[in-house]
Amino acid sequence: MSDQHEHLHHTHERFTPAPVTPDDAGSEALAEAFHSSFTIVKFAMLLLVVTFLCSGFFTVGPSEKAIILRFGEPVGEGQKVLLSSGRHWSFPYPVDEVVKIPITEIQQIKSTIGWYAVTPEQELSGNIPQPGASLTPGVDGYMISADRNIIHVRATLYYQVDHPIHYVFGFASAPHTVQNALNNALLFTAAHFKVDDILYNNRAGFQDAVLQRVTELADQEQLGISIQHCDVESTPPRQLKYNFDQVTTARENRNKVLYEAHTQENQVTNNAAAQAFTIANLAISARSRYIQSLEADAKAFSALLPNYKINPDLFEQQQLVQVMGNVLTNVQDKFFLPERLDGKPRELRLLLNREPPQPKTGAQM
Amino acid sequence: MKRNLLIIVTGAVLVIIFALLLFTFQVRQSEIAVVTTFGNPVGTAKPGLHLKWPWPIQQVYKFDERIQNFQDRFSENITADNINLLSSVYIGWRISNAEQFLRVFKDGSVTAAQSQLESMLRSAKSIAVGRHQLSDFVNADPKQLQFNQIENEIKQTVQGQLQTNNCGIEIEFLGIKQLGLPESVTSAVFDRMKSERQVLISHAQYEGEAEAQKIKANADREAAETIANAEAEAKRIRGEGEAEAAKTLPVFQENPELANFLLRISALQQSLNQRSTLIFDQRTPPFDLFRSIPTNTPSH
Repeated sequence: MSDQHEHLHHTHERFTPAPVTPDDAGSEALAEAFHSSFTIVKFAMLLLVVTFLCSGFFTVGPSEKAIILRFGEPVGEGQKVLLSSGRHWSFPYPVDEVVKIPITEIQQIKSTIGWYAVTPEQELSGNIPQPGASLTPGVDGYMISADRNIIHVRATLYYQVDHPIHYVFGFASAPHTVQNALNNALLFTAAHFKVDDILYNNRAGFQDAVLQRVTELADQEQLGISIQHCDVESTPPRQLKYNFDQVTTARENRNKVLYEAHTQENQVTNNAAAQAFTIANLAISARSRYIQSLEADAKAFSALLPNYKINPDLFEQQQLVQVMGNVLTNVQDKFFLPERLDGKPRELRLLLNREPPQPKTGAQM
Repeated sequence: MKRNLLIIVTGAVLVIIFALLLFTFQVRQSEIAVVTTFGNPVGTAKPGLHLKWPWPIQQVYKFDERIQNFQDRFSENITADNINLLSSVYIGWRISNAEQFLRVFKDGSVTAAQSQLESMLRSAKSIAVGRHQLSDFVNADPKQLQFNQIENEIKQTVQGQLQTNNCGIEIEFLGIKQLGLPESVTSAVFDRMKSERQVLISHAQYEGEAEAQKIKANADREAAETIANAEAEAKRIRGEGEAEAAKTLPVFQENPELANFLLRISALQQSLNQRSTLIFDQRTPPFDLFRSIPTNTPSH
């Protein structure tokens, strides 16, 4: 019995599960490996879940807005759909999708038609290829002006996105649509402007008309943008550069001639005005002098009259002698011709146009 | 026990994900989906999460509902006044009826749709260009320019064809993108432009000279007028002076003989002022004094 009991006891010991009483080192190592692997897997799964959730964080920059699409549908209503700048969280893909839209920064787009074939690199280096005798359709862009001239025109449009939902979800490629509107605006405007107006006479008017047309198109097509401004550049065909330059030179010369004519006009009119002023002033002073002189004469007359009345003949003789004295002092040549004895008049011959000799000393008799 | 629970949860999650992939589909904002059962369209789905039977029972075709850009090739047509005009138009089109679109274009191929649009645009453009003269495309007079009208005509034609064919496509906008002339014509235009420039050069020269002459002539006339006016004014001023002087006349009238004498004296003084030669005899005062001087005159 005791042996049997002992045997049972041994048997019992032999069938006890390994972890409790491992019977060899191999099984124990395997078990431990399983255990640790399972722990690693648990940890990895936890890490994955955490990473999955953390990947939902995203940042919206100061010049953009964001929209969360949950299962494809925007989260929120109206303007609340748009998330402002800052840190946000959404469920990671495929539950949520974040769409970012540039909004406050000014977008820029260039026209693609109207300019000759040149790459930006060539333009930057100034190494522009020589033009051919004609323009190749589809390669060289140009416009046809209202007077059926060929002209190169290009534009850069600056705009802001006002309605991001419309801009992003209304158009497969909104920038491309804006670009087409700009191209159309250039073409339409060039079609009713003459080449000289585009190039020289009404550059600002042309630019304004392009801006107006592109704004109208953006409104009609409901692009959800507001246009800031538009830079337009135009140039005559390179093949005709010399001819256009010649016209410019001729116009410059015309302006020079006109400028000179205006200068001369000013001189002539100013001189005339000065002369007129002098004439008027001379007349005024002559009038004053005349009146003053007459008044003085009248005064002298009144003063002399009493003396005259006393003895008119004597007065006259006195005055005459006094005057003759003055006159003879001033007169250059004086000839005294005594009467002929026979009472006949003396014959006197004068050489006319003779320069009277200057008196040498004093008066000559 | 704990380990089993974890296995069950993981398994369940995997099964759910698999089931979701099989039985649901997402439609993104700006998209529209057409669901077909055994190839027949049974309805459309708007943006959001939707249920479906897995393939091959049901199939989902998604379409972009946004406005898409398309432009045709730069092609040549003849205008009503027989001018070869190259043109290219752009359109903004969108799928307005996804079921129709799917029915007309195999697997809802956008490329096939654009190919169809290209051919419609080509014929519509040809009709519109042929109906108008070049002066309808380019004209300085806004009233005669029919640019918008031509665009509208092309749009109407294409829109009509799309409706007739039930394509499920709508044209939102259409515009002319580019106009041009055949290469050989551009060199002829250059020659004409050269002649026009030459005319402008001579015009500028002539205009400048003529205008300058006009300006100078006007200036001379203006100057002459100014001086004439000033002289008239001077005459008026002198007249005023004389009128003023007349006031002193009564003074002289007191004794006209004296006045006359004084005037003569003054005139004498002024006339014999300088550079004069005076010849006189002994009858002229004060030389009449010489009479009393004995001379070699023989006495009678």
